[in-house]
Amino acid sequence: MKIAVVGKGGVGKTSVSAVLARSLGRLGRQVVALDCDTNPNLGLSLGVGEEETQRILTMRQQVDAGDVEHALGWDDLLDRFGTDAPDGVRLGIVNRIENPEPSCPCCGLSPERLLSQANFGNAIVIGDFEAGLGSYSRVSNEKLDITIVVIEPTPRSIDVGLRALDHARSHHQGRIMAVANKVRNSNEVAMIASAIGDAPLTVVPFSEAVASADRKGTSVFDEASADDFIAPIQQLASSLN
Amino acid sequence: MNDATKRPLRVAFVGKGGSGKSTVAALFARILAQKGARVVALDSDPMPGLAYALGIDVDDAPLPDDLVVAGPKSGPEWILRPDVDPLSLVEKFSVKTPEGVHYFQFGNTRGTWGALSRGQHAWSEVVRRLPESDWNLIGDLPGGLRQPMNGWGKYAEVALVVTEPTLKGILTARQLAKLTRAKWGPRTIAVVVNRTRPTDDPSAIAARIGQPLAGSVPECAVIQRAEMELRSPLGLPGTEAVETAIRALVQTAQVL
Repeated sequence: MKIAVVGKGGVGKTSVSAVLARSLGRLGRQVVALDCDTNPNLGLSLGVGEEETQRILTMRQQVDAGDVEHALGWDDLLDRFGTDAPDGVRLGIVNRIENPEPSCPCCGLSPERLLSQANFGNAIVIGDFEAGLGSYSRVSNEKLDITIVVIEPTPRSIDVGLRALDHARSHHQGRIMAVANKVRNSNEVAMIASAIGDAPLTVVPFSEAVASADRKGTSVFDEASADDFIAPIQQLASSLN
Repeated sequence: MNDATKRPLRVAFVGKGGSGKSTVAALFARILAQKGARVVALDSDPMPGLAYALGIDVDDAPLPDDLVVAGPKSGPEWILRPDVDPLSLVEKFSVKTPEGVHYFQFGNTRGTWGALSRGQHAWSEVVRRLPESDWNLIGDLPGGLRQPMNGWGKYAEVALVVTEPTLKGILTARQLAKLTRAKWGPRTIAVVVNRTRPTDDPSAIAARIGQPLAGSVPECAVIQRAEMELRSPLGLPGTEAVETAIRALVQTAQVL
C-alpha cells in the first residue's frame, strides 16, 4: 500500500507522517517511511536523532555513484541505505540536495519514479513529500493507494491543499483524505471542512507537544502529554490497517 | 546619509517552508520603502504568498508570453526580446503597494506542473538581467532547497535564512548556508530567527547554523491572525515588537 502525504510547507506533513508510520508499526504492520523531500528531516520526527538523520545515505546518490546495480529493488535499497526507526519502521531517504547546482532532481532516481515503479509488496509505504505539488504531481496516474493532504487553517495552506485534492482526484491517486492540523477552535475546523468538500477529514488540534519536540528535534510520539496530537492520527492509522 | 541614498540592498529570503519568509520579507520591503528607498519585491514562488503581506490582493500578475523569443540553438530555451529593457519591464508590470514597493511576480502555476510558461521564462530572464541601479531588490524564494540551490536567488548579495527555533529549521539553514560555495552565490549569509519565545536563544541558534545572526522576530498572535485572514499585518495594534525587530533587521542588512 502506497500513501503520499502532501501539503504546503510548514503545515506538519512530516510530524503527521511520522506518527502515522509509528502507529501502523505498533499495529504490527511492515512500515516503510520514505522521506521524499530533497531537504530530508523525517528522521527527526520518527525519533532517530539529529546525527543519524544527517548521516543516512540517500538512495539516489548511491545509485548515481555507481556503487550499486541500477536494477536494485526497493527492498535492497532500503536494506542497504535505510535505517531502523522505533516501532519497527524502516526509514529511507530518496534524494538529498547537498550542494548548489545539484543534478536534476527529476531525472534519475526520484520519489516520483520510485513510487510509480516499485510495488512494495505487503509493506505500507508512507511517502512524506516535498512542500508544494511538484514532485507529487509527477507520480504516474493510479500509482498511489491513498493521498493524505495536510492543511493548517491558513488560506495559503488551504489553497495548496485544494490543488492537491484536485490533482489527486483527476489523476486517480487512490483514496483521498485530509488532515486539518494545528486547529485551535471549531471555526478553523469549519473553514477547512467547508473548503475541502466531501474528503474525509481527520482533525488534529494545535499541540504544544509538537512545538516542544520540534525545538529538540525529537519525535512528538515520545513526548509526554502529546495525546491530543497523537490520538486522532492513531485513529486514522487504525482505519487504514 | 538617509536610506534613499544608501547603497541599494540585494537580499534574498530563504528557509524551510512555513518559517515565515513571506511575512518577514514583505515587512522588510515595506519598511525600507517607507524610508524613501526604491524597492522591488521579487516573488519566485509558483504558489505566491508575498502579496498578502505586502498589503495588496493581487496574487497572480503574470508577464505576457510575447516578452520572450526562442533562444539560440546552444543557449537557453527562451531569451528576452532584444527591444525590451528589464528595468522598465519591472516598472511596467509590477503591482505597486501603498508604500511604493513594486511587487514583481513570477506567475502562479496553473495547468501542467513542472513546465514553465513563457511568461515565467520572461520573469527569470528579467531578474537575471536586472542592471545595477538604485533599486533595492528584496526576494522571497519558495521554502526548501530546490530554487535556492538551483540559482534562483542569483540577484542577491545577501541571503537571509529565516528559521523558526526548531531543529528542522536549523538543519535546513545549514544546507542553505552552502550557497556561499557557489560562484554565483551570495556574498554573505545571515540568520533571522522567526517566531521566537522568551526562552529561545537566537544567538545559540545562529551559532548552531554556523552563520552570523542578523536578527530575531518574536512570535506574535496578531501577525498569525493577519496571516490567517489575509490581512496586511503592518501597523496593526500588538505588532509593535515585530515591527521594531524588522526595522532593526533592515538596519543590520544595510551594513552586512
